[in-house]
Amino acid sequence: MESFLQIVFSGLTLGAMYALSAVGLTLLWGVVGMLNMSQGVMLAIGGYASYSAITYLGLPWPFGLPAAILGGFVTGVVFYYVIVRWMYRSPTFEVGIIIATVGAAIVLESLMIRIFSGYPLDQPFSLPGGFRIGGILLPYQTLVNLFIAGLMTVGLGWVLRRTRFGRAIRATAQHRDAAQLLGVPVAKIYLQVMVMAGIIAAISGVMLTASVANLSPYVGTNPMLKAFFICAIAGLGNIPAAVGASLVLALLEGAIQYSVGGSYGFPAMLALAILVLIWRPYGLFGERTVERS
Amino acid sequence: MYSRVISFRDHVNRMAPSRRDVWIGLFFLVIAIALPFIDNSRSLLSTVILLFIWASIVTQWNLIFGVAGIFSLAQMAVFCIGGYTAAMLSLYFGWSLWFTSILGAFMAVFVSAIIGAATIRLRGAYVALLTLGVAVVMQVMIMSDSNCFYYEGVTCYNFTGGPRGLSSFGDFGFRDWLGYKVSLLAKYYLALLLLVLGTIFVLFIIRGPFGYAFRALRDNDTNARSQGINRVKYQILVFALSGFFTGLSGAFYAGHYKTIGPTMLDFPVLLLLLAMMVIGGLGRPWGPLLGCILLMVIDDFLKIYAEWRYVGMGAITIFFIILLRQGVVGLIEGIWNRGPEFVFESVRHWNRPRPS
Repeated sequence: MESFLQIVFSGLTLGAMYALSAVGLTLLWGVVGMLNMSQGVMLAIGGYASYSAITYLGLPWPFGLPAAILGGFVTGVVFYYVIVRWMYRSPTFEVGIIIATVGAAIVLESLMIRIFSGYPLDQPFSLPGGFRIGGILLPYQTLVNLFIAGLMTVGLGWVLRRTRFGRAIRATAQHRDAAQLLGVPVAKIYLQVMVMAGIIAAISGVMLTASVANLSPYVGTNPMLKAFFICAIAGLGNIPAAVGASLVLALLEGAIQYSVGGSYGFPAMLALAILVLIWRPYGLFGERTVERS
Repeated sequence: MYSRVISFRDHVNRMAPSRRDVWIGLFFLVIAIALPFIDNSRSLLSTVILLFIWASIVTQWNLIFGVAGIFSLAQMAVFCIGGYTAAMLSLYFGWSLWFTSILGAFMAVFVSAIIGAATIRLRGAYVALLTLGVAVVMQVMIMSDSNCFYYEGVTCYNFTGGPRGLSSFGDFGFRDWLGYKVSLLAKYYLALLLLVLGTIFVLFIIRGPFGYAFRALRDNDTNARSQGINRVKYQILVFALSGFFTGLSGAFYAGHYKTIGPTMLDFPVLLLLLAMMVIGGLGRPWGPLLGCILLMVIDDFLKIYAEWRYVGMGAITIFFIILLRQGVVGLIEGIWNRGPEFVFESVRHWNRPRPS
């Protein structure tokens, strides 16, 4: 029983982390058709923005989150004007953007190492303590992270399904030219989506570093890699499925780590992702989209 | 209007592509052969050997990535399969590295073909994810290998070498035949031979019927298939073909440095090679080679500012992928055909709103 609770709690903590990383990733894929290899760095930017506001500017701790949101906003705008703006019309956007965001990730990562050094730091914006159930600790921060991931999913779902803005986004995602002809300001939509993704990544970054991970320029790399495969299993672009898959796979990873050995969790997940992709090329819940030509 | 005087440019433009390749290849080959006679310092030779290894990989990768247009990121995994197979066979069976290198190359062909088969139903970003997954799984499995396979005294050695990598599996034996001084030179020419054979191999494929099939599938999959081109067959084929020399370069790498480790699967290594391909020109026969040379020169220049190295590399990659999609080869071709105004034309072209 104790070991079962241990697996469930650590699985929930990990699952919340993966879910937070997966939301922004799958949003960008679903709407812009962009596999964002800079997601990990964008997470780190949020963490550092919160850290700097509290530590260097001496603001009280609740200001960490607004600072991260500001950081994410700036990141999104910069990504749009430096990269996406020039590329989204290209017929080879899907591949080109992967290469470009890999380049951007390397640039930003080295810049962060230059500015903050590579040493792991503690995120001051965090909720210490936790419940004790059956002798096993369930940190409050895990619950906060789960709540935020759920909130993002529901919120994004509402924005995308129910608002005018969301309709414009979905129209752009479905057929850019038709949307433009019907008066949707496509360029502006791309900018807004990039900003949304930047902010989501930044908030996720704060929550991520407040939980088990220490703040470092590489903090997002591992969650990003795992989020990639979670999204691939769930089907890129489907936000609720990505969050659900994060939790299920994290629990599975925890169970495998406990029963087989610590180092087999990630390989097992990857092997599962590879098998799922071979079996269902668009993921379990992904929609088979018609390619733009 | 035909002018009587045929300019050098017209002369070259009238050549068949394969003949032009011969001249370009000879040009590079003469420089590469002559280089050690001009400067045979150890540092230069070692750098150029590394350049040859990178160029060998990127040339083969270009076949999948550029010519066939399949976004595979498993190239370094295939490279490591070749290197590890050769190293492990030599270490555990005591066979000569010359022999195991060939076995390593065939193993790489086999694994690469399997990766190609696994990605048949996938497109674009999903291919990238799956192949990246293969590379990451391989690295994690090697890094976390902690079971003792054999002991030397009390020291425990893992089957795959673990995070330390494999060593003491021997080398190509140049040092015993030729002595310390000449051995580096011998390895230099061996690496050059590897690159030359690999390049000729790729050129034959690109200019031959396979090349047409690969490009047809890349440019219009549906149309190509309706013309009777079997996608399954050609996708597995392109992965298998590019696997041979990639695996062989891996084995050469292992023999040259006398060690091979999981660090070769690190992401920055992949980025370096990707940048080389993008800067040179995706899908262009001579793109990878030019990209390698250019990036090694830039990298050497940036070494003075070591901390800015990755910033520079990333920025150059973004610059090329956004503004010069055809790479340096495309730029040279444009200037060759239309003069220096081409640069301004292409920039103006970028600022014009384009139909999507």
